[in-house]
Amino acid sequence: MDHRPFEDWLLDNQDLDADESRQLNAHLQVCPSCTALAEVNLALTSVRMAAPAAGFADRFHVRLEARKKVLRRRNFWGFLLLAVSVLSGLVWISWPVLKSLIQSPVDLLATWLSSLLSFWAAFQAMAHAGAVLFRVVPGFVPAYIWTIILFAACGWSLLWVFSLIKFTKFPQGVSR
Amino acid sequence: MTDEMAWVHQAQKGDDAAFTNLVEMYQKPVYNLCYRMLGEPETAEDAAQETFLKAYQNLGRYDVERPFATWLLSIAAHHCIDRLRRKRFTSFSIDQDEEGQTELPDSSAPDPETEAVRKQTRERLQGCLQSLDPTDRAAVVMRYWQDCSEVEIAQALKLTVPAVKSRLHRARRALADLWEEKDKKARVRRERKPYGSPAF
Repeated sequence: MDHRPFEDWLLDNQDLDADESRQLNAHLQVCPSCTALAEVNLALTSVRMAAPAAGFADRFHVRLEARKKVLRRRNFWGFLLLAVSVLSGLVWISWPVLKSLIQSPVDLLATWLSSLLSFWAAFQAMAHAGAVLFRVVPGFVPAYIWTIILFAACGWSLLWVFSLIKFTKFPQGVSR
Repeated sequence: MTDEMAWVHQAQKGDDAAFTNLVEMYQKPVYNLCYRMLGEPETAEDAAQETFLKAYQNLGRYDVERPFATWLLSIAAHHCIDRLRRKRFTSFSIDQDEEGQTELPDSSAPDPETEAVRKQTRERLQGCLQSLDPTDRAAVVMRYWQDCSEVEIAQALKLTVPAVKSRLHRARRALADLWEEKDKKARVRRERKPYGSPAF
């Protein structure tokens, strides 16, 4: 059986004129498939909402509190586990130092003090060498080289500032 | 600003009482969607409660430019689709009253016979709905029960508008086929009934 255009009319919920309605009714008398579609349309447009049992919001409140409690407990245990893990890791990594500190604390402190003094002496020597170079090198470099270096530094700084402005600008239509 | 938007803003700032107002406002549409999707009052209640919990937990991500109802129904629909995918509901008990314990008989019903026919129609429609693909089912429920537009359905189900139109057409055709099949079965049962047994 040819269901066109009746099936399309029913599926599109088209407004029909008197003649089309008459044709559709005549077709529905002989076509169970289109009749079923019309009945489904009618059933769907006359449906009622199902409502939950009374006290839904109260039950939600109870469930929300229970969920919050579970989350709080989970967060507490999670934090505790993380803290214990981090602490254990630190102890494991620093165990050789801790061991010698426990066994002979004076020796370990003397070693640390000696290392600190060596670093300080090395730093002073490097600072002295730098100061000597700073005094001597400018005499060997001509004035025009210093001008070029100055201009290059200025250009580089400008480029850097413009890049920063460009990349940190918010695109239009995006709220901050 | 509407009451709804004021409650949403307050709830986003951590006001539980404001969120409870939203729950009271939307409990019926959310429950109805879950019930039509899942077919059982207890499961629907659980799904509706979970929907509100998810909404509560993700309230910070809610975009105030979108209608709150569509956002909420979207969470409910996806939750139900996920549930259905995890566990296929193969049967639906028609012995149970469609509205569970919650809906009282319509006192304005003209006569018991009309009310019985309506109830039968609702049960048949619910039975047919359970045979649809979960996404098609969600689209049908949002269109006919929640009165959502095709654009809102598309937003909620993360589909395009033409896809929603096509799904609605397909779903109604499938419902009509199931309806016709049930009609045929009912007619056969009626024809057999006077004799009480097919042997006669």
